[in-house]
Amino acid sequence: MKDISKSVRKVDSLIKMSGEAKYVSDIKIDGMLYAKTVRSSKSKAIIKKITLPVIPEGYHIIDHTDIPGKNFVKIIFEDMPVFAEKTVSYYGEPIMLVIGEDKNIITDIISNIEIEYEEVTPLFENTNSAINYHFTKGDSNKAFKNAKKIIKDDYDTGYQEQLYIEPQGMIGYIEGEKVTLIGSIQCPYYVKNAVISILEAEEDQVRVKQAVVGGAFGGKEEFPSLMACQLAVALRKIKKPIKLIYEREEDMEVTTKRHPAWIHMEAAINDKNEIDGLTAKVAIDGGAYIGLSGVVLSRALIASTGAYTIDNIEVGGDVFLTNTVPNGAFRGFGAPQMLFAVEMFIQHIALELELDPLELRLKYLAKQGDATSTRGKFRDPIIMNDMINKGMEMSDYKNKVKKYTEQGIYKGIGMSWFLHGCGFTGSGEANHIKALVKLQKDIDDKVTILIAAVDMGQGVQTTMKKIVAQILDIPLDQVIYNKPDTDLVPDSGPTVASRTIMVVGGLVARATKQLKEKWVDGEAIIVSERYKQPEYIKWDEDNFIGDAYPAYSWGVNIVEVEVSPITYQVSLVGIWSVYDVGKAIDERIIMGQADGGILQGVGYGYLEVMKNVNGKIQHKNVTDYIIPTTGDTAPMETFLMDNPYPLGPYGAKGAGELTLVGGAPAVALAIENAINKKVKSIPVTPEYIMELMKNG
Amino acid sequence: MAKIKFTLNNKVVEIEESPTARLLDILRDKYDFVGVKEGCGEGECGACAVLINDKIVNSCIVPLGTVEGKSIVTIEGFSKTKRHEVLRESFEEEGAVQCGFCTPGMLIASESLLNTNPHPTDEEIKIGLSGNLCRCTGYNMIIKAVKSASKKGDGLW
Amino acid sequence: MKNLIPKTYAEALEMLNNDNLRILAGGTDLMIQNRSWSNMLPDFKTGTILIFNLEELKYMVQEEHFLHIGSGMTLEDIKDNELTPKLLVDALKIMASPAIRNMATIGGNIGNASPAGDSLPVLYVLNALVVLESVEAMRDVPIHDFIIGPGKKTIKQNEIIKEIKIPTNNLTIVKFDKIGGRKADAISKISFAGAAHVKNNIIQDFRVAFGAVGPTVVRKYDLESHLVGLTLDDVSLNIKEILSEYGKYIRPIDDQRSNKEYRKEVALNLLESFILSL
Ligand SMILES: Cc1cc2nc3c(=O)[nH]c(=O)nc-3n(C[C@H](O)[C@H](O)[C@H](O)COP(=O)(O)OP(=O)(O)OC[C@H]3O[C@@H](n4cnc5c(N)ncnc54)[C@H](O)[C@@H]3O)c2cc1C
Ligand code: FES
Ligand code: FES
Repeated sequence: MKDISKSVRKVDSLIKMSGEAKYVSDIKIDGMLYAKTVRSSKSKAIIKKITLPVIPEGYHIIDHTDIPGKNFVKIIFEDMPVFAEKTVSYYGEPIMLVIGEDKNIITDIISNIEIEYEEVTPLFENTNSAINYHFTKGDSNKAFKNAKKIIKDDYDTGYQEQLYIEPQGMIGYIEGEKVTLIGSIQCPYYVKNAVISILEAEEDQVRVKQAVVGGAFGGKEEFPSLMACQLAVALRKIKKPIKLIYEREEDMEVTTKRHPAWIHMEAAINDKNEIDGLTAKVAIDGGAYIGLSGVVLSRALIASTGAYTIDNIEVGGDVFLTNTVPNGAFRGFGAPQMLFAVEMFIQHIALELELDPLELRLKYLAKQGDATSTRGKFRDPIIMNDMINKGMEMSDYKNKVKKYTEQGIYKGIGMSWFLHGCGFTGSGEANHIKALVKLQKDIDDKVTILIAAVDMGQGVQTTMKKIVAQILDIPLDQVIYNKPDTDLVPDSGPTVASRTIMVVGGLVARATKQLKEKWVDGEAIIVSERYKQPEYIKWDEDNFIGDAYPAYSWGVNIVEVEVSPITYQVSLVGIWSVYDVGKAIDERIIMGQADGGILQGVGYGYLEVMKNVNGKIQHKNVTDYIIPTTGDTAPMETFLMDNPYPLGPYGAKGAGELTLVGGAPAVALAIENAINKKVKSIPVTPEYIMELMKNG
Repeated sequence: MAKIKFTLNNKVVEIEESPTARLLDILRDKYDFVGVKEGCGEGECGACAVLINDKIVNSCIVPLGTVEGKSIVTIEGFSKTKRHEVLRESFEEEGAVQCGFCTPGMLIASESLLNTNPHPTDEEIKIGLSGNLCRCTGYNMIIKAVKSASKKGDGLW
Repeated sequence: MKNLIPKTYAEALEMLNNDNLRILAGGTDLMIQNRSWSNMLPDFKTGTILIFNLEELKYMVQEEHFLHIGSGMTLEDIKDNELTPKLLVDALKIMASPAIRNMATIGGNIGNASPAGDSLPVLYVLNALVVLESVEAMRDVPIHDFIIGPGKKTIKQNEIIKEIKIPTNNLTIVKFDKIGGRKADAISKISFAGAAHVKNNIIQDFRVAFGAVGPTVVRKYDLESHLVGLTLDDVSLNIKEILSEYGKYIRPIDDQRSNKEYRKEVALNLLESFILSL
């Protein structure tokens, strides 16, 4: 049998290269109207009065008064309104849509809308905790009480903007009572459920379709539900097709971003110079509404010991609400912040104790059978030792790190080790998602994959087809996998959390095996599979005890840099990575994830600056928010080590987020190596490097 | 309003529009060439790139009035050429396409580069593509694809 | 609102004389500064005159005393022209991106008068003259008199930048540095242009200019003249003093791209490294 990892041509690249692929902004519907959002110009205020100009025939204002259901975007909590009512809680919060045919007239109407606010002092500090989690493992109190030395450090991380190159967009139309929304989305059923809730509609009155998605990275996980709810409300009232496409600046100012985080770490060192205990206290800025922030926080907390096993830990943290743009999902989902802190901290502990950092890290590296941070168990083999050796050999790490530590060279190399829990945290998969997949074989023996997973560039259209074709031993083009349409596909869950191949793909593989058994040429057959949590996995959601994830992917990133002592600018010299993703379903696709993920992670670590001042995002266009270009990237070498996971399809685990999460600590450690100063904050900008070199 | 005459994907066209209209809007809205993408609207991302007289420009900031008498090629026109075929093959082989939103612009940038420099070095490719942002690929696969196209398409450019 | 497309340069001068028109060249600044919602016309508050296609403004000629660069030359064309001084080539190479350089004109870079305009420190160092023409007259204005503040320049409503004149020189050492947020396609946090002529270890000519560290490009003629006639050793010995003199005039600001401490420090580092490289 052929090796599944052997790459095939991606099934969607031809139409993307000819320009034929239809993204949401490319879709035109006869009689279509345009919508533009009117937003709050205050960070926190009571809306006293809204004065509208005369609205010409054919133009519409849609606001909270038009909402049939309860005014919130359904996701976890009933906290974020679809349209602000009496108060606004962040700059840019949507208040209403202005809709019509001619953009000039819409613009004119908007410029004549007067909103009178009574300003309330906004909150920008981390004082209003909306969620607090706390858990322990072992006895950290004792460890700290008996400590010979306690080492403490504070780390912080900035915003990161997904900056998918295609801005957010949604288009909708209505047939009778039924609304259809087509969008640039990751999670068709999140959108559908939110729209059902806002319209108080029946299941069959809402249809959600995916357009070709021009990048998402988490940014199109929960945010599109807001746009969809607004459009759906408008569709019900206006009964004409409506298009809502964000301009880049609007997108950057008001859509969700990676949570800024502040992490305080302490280590209890015993008289044998061992790390006996560790505490982490985390604060993340949720922005004005909670959204997914609680889930982000829990992933961060669970990652508090990174790739290491520490016996006694105490971990806690808060989601703080501030009057700023709500933060949300972004590839890595809380882990990048925490892994940065952990990797820097263990390095700083070694420096403090005058130990060899590599030896210290190896000593605590997690092994199969170890207890996870939440007292679960690393059940599957961990091959990090081999991966680390491979990475060090590929990059000549050991020689370089020693050489570069000398003064006056201004070169550095940094290595990060990390893991990523695959799939939803805790029992989300079993209790909330309950994924269902279907396969449909037609009389012409073509097999259609019916799942809600979205290809946003990561290649699932190709990999899912490969899984089915390989198991059935049929050609790839005998398998059909269209963009999801909720009228046609069951809810196989959102396209998030590196769950798609491992969980959904696993179900697809099982369904395919079922189909194979039932296969009769020329007969129509439908099979389905629903997610069942493996028996041995137990999770206590309230106390963070048990197996937080069914499986873990592992990685090693090594980044080499040069720092200019004249301009303090960082140049990337080389990037090496070794990953254990179980088994690659398509090697080239994983390599693509690897290259793109690490550049996004490294960019987060040294380049991408986004700040808000008094609640306003300062870096709100692509000129000011700097992401890497071809000029910034570096040669990359990636090595995949097979370590098949029994429950994944062909042994595959998650891969999409893993490639991002170790980038920031690797580049930060490299810069630290180059300048011989402790780095405690990302992004490590030239301005920060200068400060460190002069004062730090 | 003014009458502007130009060649669009090898056809002579004339349109009566404001000379300050964005070329991007004209291409997408009036001619339905929606392979030309809008990523930023401020000249920074290259998703809207087209060729004017064989050279890359970002159509989101090109005033329509400046294309009078010129020849414009969008991805739709370019995709019918042998050179696109060679680039297409290489992009596929190297895995240079992910979400695809940057891809039309990347191909236009590659064509513009190879037009002036048929055998670029890696460094020259990086410079040639430096105005085209891609958030998915990390660029290396694209750089390799252009390099490989320049070899395979030897003599075409 | 009039948006005019002149067929000839003479016609352009007439049009400018008759109406209050905004000169639109490559549009790489103006189209962004005046942009509206997609698929709407940019909102120029006045009429415009589109000069990008005027062939009469696309030329480069070397005459005895001056190199003349037509204002309609694109950055890419100037970069690739053999007549272009190396210092200017070095700057153009790392400006913007190929797509922008194919539209952006030198007239527009000067006309935009941004403190971060990258050709400007070079043109200051090269003692460039801006040639302005109207139906009535033609006049030469030194670049440092032409630009008087961010976006502010001494140009009359009916005038156009016809060309840039660069006096012949014997500068043998030139250096351009651009510090942006990333390696390509970035707006400068700091830019630096340096040029010198050294003979027998003695400085004959010394010129440096800094961009993006003040409202306009900083070039200090008096400080430069103090260095002329000194030996390289003298200069190295006095480097601290020279830097501290320059430090008095480099007064950058904080903005979303950088902060003043960094800008000042790096500007002086660049100066130091230029001087020590002589
Ligand atoms: C993505 C991007 C990157 C950029 N990167 C850089 C960079 O790295 N460095 C840099 O310096 N700039 C950069 N720019 C800015 C811009 O490209 C330059 O300033 C360019 O030279 C402007 O030329 P233009 O022909 O497009 O000017 P336009 O936008 O047409 O005009 C600019 C100004 O000059 C005036 N003007 C133009 N021509 C004349 C004339 N002949 N006579 C009188 N007035 C005139 C106009 O009225 C206007 O005020 C960048 C722009 C973009 C969009
Ligand atoms: S849309 Fe034109 S450059 Fe981004
Ligand atoms: S492939 Fe997605 S932006 Fe390039």
